[in-house]
Amino acid sequence: MKSGTSNGYFGQALKRVEDPRLIKGIATYVDDLRLPGLLHAAILRSPHAHARILGVKTEAAKNLPGVAGVFTGTDINPACGLVPCASSMPGLKAPRHTMLAGDRVYFVGHPVVVVVAASPAIARDALDLIEVDYDSLPAVTNPEKALEKDSPLTHPDQGTNVAFTWLLANGDVDGLFAQADRVIKQRIVHQRLTPMAIEPRGCVASYHAGEGSLTLWTSTQIPHLLRTLLPGVIGVAENKIRIITPEVGGGFGSKLDLYVEEAMCSHLAMRLGSPVKWIEGRRENAMSTIHGRDQIGDYELAVKNDGTVLAIKARTIADIGSYLQLLTPTIPTLTGLMICGCYKLKAVRFELTGVYTNKMATDAYRGAGRPEATYAIERLMDLAAAELGLDPAKIRQKNFPKPGEFPFQTATGLMYDSGNYQRALKKAQELARWDALLRQREQARQAGRLFGIGLSTYVEICGLGPSKIMAAGGWEWGCVRLEMSGKVTVITGTTPHGQGQETSFAQIVGDRLGVPMEDIVVLRGDTASAHYGRDTYGSRATAVGGTALIMSVDKIIAKAKILAGALLGASAKKIDFRNGRFWVKGKPKNAIDWKRLGQEAYEAKNLPANLEPGLEASSFFEPKNCTYPFGTHIVAVEVERETGDVKIVKYVAVDDCGPQVNPLLVEGQVQGGIAHSLGQVLFERTVYDENGQLLTGEFTDYPMPRARDIPEYVIGSTVTPSPSNPMGVKGVGEAGTIGANPAIANAVMDALAPLGIRHLDLPLLPEKLWRAIEEKTAGRKMKKPRSQS
Amino acid sequence: MIIQGTHTIAAAPAHVFDRLMEPAFLQQAIPGCEKLEKTGEDEYIAHLKLGIGSIKGSYAGKVRLTDRQPPHKFTMHLQGSGGPGFVKGTSAIELKAEGEATELHYSANVQVGGLIAAVGSRVIEAVAKKLAGEFFLKFSAIVEHDVKPER
Repeated sequence: MKSGTSNGYFGQALKRVEDPRLIKGIATYVDDLRLPGLLHAAILRSPHAHARILGVKTEAAKNLPGVAGVFTGTDINPACGLVPCASSMPGLKAPRHTMLAGDRVYFVGHPVVVVVAASPAIARDALDLIEVDYDSLPAVTNPEKALEKDSPLTHPDQGTNVAFTWLLANGDVDGLFAQADRVIKQRIVHQRLTPMAIEPRGCVASYHAGEGSLTLWTSTQIPHLLRTLLPGVIGVAENKIRIITPEVGGGFGSKLDLYVEEAMCSHLAMRLGSPVKWIEGRRENAMSTIHGRDQIGDYELAVKNDGTVLAIKARTIADIGSYLQLLTPTIPTLTGLMICGCYKLKAVRFELTGVYTNKMATDAYRGAGRPEATYAIERLMDLAAAELGLDPAKIRQKNFPKPGEFPFQTATGLMYDSGNYQRALKKAQELARWDALLRQREQARQAGRLFGIGLSTYVEICGLGPSKIMAAGGWEWGCVRLEMSGKVTVITGTTPHGQGQETSFAQIVGDRLGVPMEDIVVLRGDTASAHYGRDTYGSRATAVGGTALIMSVDKIIAKAKILAGALLGASAKKIDFRNGRFWVKGKPKNAIDWKRLGQEAYEAKNLPANLEPGLEASSFFEPKNCTYPFGTHIVAVEVERETGDVKIVKYVAVDDCGPQVNPLLVEGQVQGGIAHSLGQVLFERTVYDENGQLLTGEFTDYPMPRARDIPEYVIGSTVTPSPSNPMGVKGVGEAGTIGANPAIANAVMDALAPLGIRHLDLPLLPEKLWRAIEEKTAGRKMKKPRSQS
Repeated sequence: MIIQGTHTIAAAPAHVFDRLMEPAFLQQAIPGCEKLEKTGEDEYIAHLKLGIGSIKGSYAGKVRLTDRQPPHKFTMHLQGSGGPGFVKGTSAIELKAEGEATELHYSANVQVGGLIAAVGSRVIEAVAKKLAGEFFLKFSAIVEHDVKPER
């Protein structure tokens, strides 16, 4: 990118400026906030998956010393709106999801009563004194059974468990399937996952009665979207609401929602005249923060004997749980849009049915719909390679668009911005020492060991996005201000919460202004400083938000040239600018710097006529297209025959997210994403029993990867700039997870292939692998005597 | 979840059956039972304090008896709830004479919900068996010595 300086921050692997405060424990999270007169909320949640509420007795709780109030749905719901969903889908059936349950609860964890008290302990004790009389109703937790005629209904008044149907059809699917030499078929279950951010949700609401205004501190990814949505729920105008997002200990999509607790605490702060805090417990988090994935797909891929892929068909069911959070119905449609992966498929038919069950709602979780697509198509490519006896890398290469074919229109209607899938694959093979790895597998197999190599070549959709495809606009806002002292304040409408943009945005602005990073502060996560923003999700912040900053910097430089010209006695056109200094062409010795300009701009005594004081500019950037990062992950694993344990022998990730502002941040994002995948592929699954009871309510039952499970990564990259924004950056927040799921799974299935095992659904828990191995090897032992007889 | 078991009690079925119908006896034998009162014909209310795995809590419940055929069998319906969740179940109890003694067989179909299910599901079966074992041990001792507890 063009840079106004020789600082050369862009591309440097600089340590994050955020880290010292986080490492030292001096950062401020929501739970660290202390306000005078603060009250604490605790929530009584339904232990039933489906039940009628016959009565609630709150007297004893109300009489507990220290309790400020006990509220049921009858008390609160009439004064508040419904939980908003931004997805517009024709024919979508949506239950009216109120703050607290009305006369019916429909998932375990459904909020029923809220207690506000002087301390969290009193509030919790008061919950034990509340008696709720439930009359249990039949529940349904299996989405396929939910579609059967005699199934219990999640919402009986809707008359069906179908929330919506969605069809994406393009091209001559039937004709191409008729031309196919083979049809590769596989049913794949994408298990339900619990995001389990290390910091659960939490909020503090404070109402200022004099001004009639409300401040809400909340652990969220989307303060700006909340400011847009909250007025409709609590009846306070948008311009009287300030949302502040302090430090956030992990979001991964699970904090991309307006939750009842945020609205309810706001309402209660107004009602009680005292600030109200609510901090989610781990068990609460497991049952009442959105879940991820949960799709079942029957996939068919039409292929020619030479490995050419022709078309893909999918019939999928998305189990969306019992109600709609912000983007619940949209997420599985992203699976449909990305189902072609990196391949030149000519036609697609993706039939999706969204189904209500008596479980927590699903929504965006790391990758949000794309990991399901990549996992499905990459498993199918491996199955096709195996059936046709082709090399998994070669069948992929054969079906990639060539670099010259970009922008590439997919069968699903997307326009992939730029790509060189061949180069990423080649680089990953080099880093993995592919041929040596194949020999290693051969030797291991000869020794009777279960050694497998897995490959995934992925593409994903990032940099969301053009406003016409987004519910509330896909632009981003940014402001850059040269202070009077010459320091620089950057305000971004994105809301970094772990991605590191306090560092990378300072690098971008520092370079372009020619100002040292130490002089730059990046403000984020406060709607009083960043008036507008569309926040952080879908790996969009740098591609869209970074561009808004560049636009603002350029406006400041243009104005500074006018001011410098006036001070130096020349027109702006004759002013040169570099390294943070301005001079009249040919007279670099007589230059003035930002410090002088800052002083002049605000003291405003020597301004030319018609030039406003100050040096500040803000911009909205509207992207014309999304970005499509891609890459190749190669994994080698060994499966222990006796225990079913999976050991990662080698992990190579090559990701192309365009030019990297800070390679250290990129690597961190990739590593974190792969760790999420190790969890999904090897351990994690959210389990409800047939009565709708959540059986994975804490870490003892919901295993997640630990440090010892994380292998050494070999991380590489290629650089293919995106034409969607001036820096050419693409985004990398979800790439790791999207690329890693199929690579790890393919490696494990490759290890088991010699035993005749074709496919196992995730998670590939040791017990599941051990049983599959036992079944095949026991069968072999039994067959032997028969063949001898 | 099905929980079943068989216990031998050194007393005649008629005697065992009678004692099983007396709240005061039962309260002594039921682990963590703080209160057990007859509220009507074959109906009782109970208050229990129990630990299931790491989850300790108080439960209030109703017990109803049906299919009462002394001294052979009866069916017990239990519905209880507390801070950590709820328990719902039905248990068939059969008594058979084995010489001087009684062989008692129970088979219960139990459903648990809430926190007990979420974090106690791994241990609940073992805990239920252990509690049943504790109950019959105490109950046997009481019946065998037939020391009527003080009311």
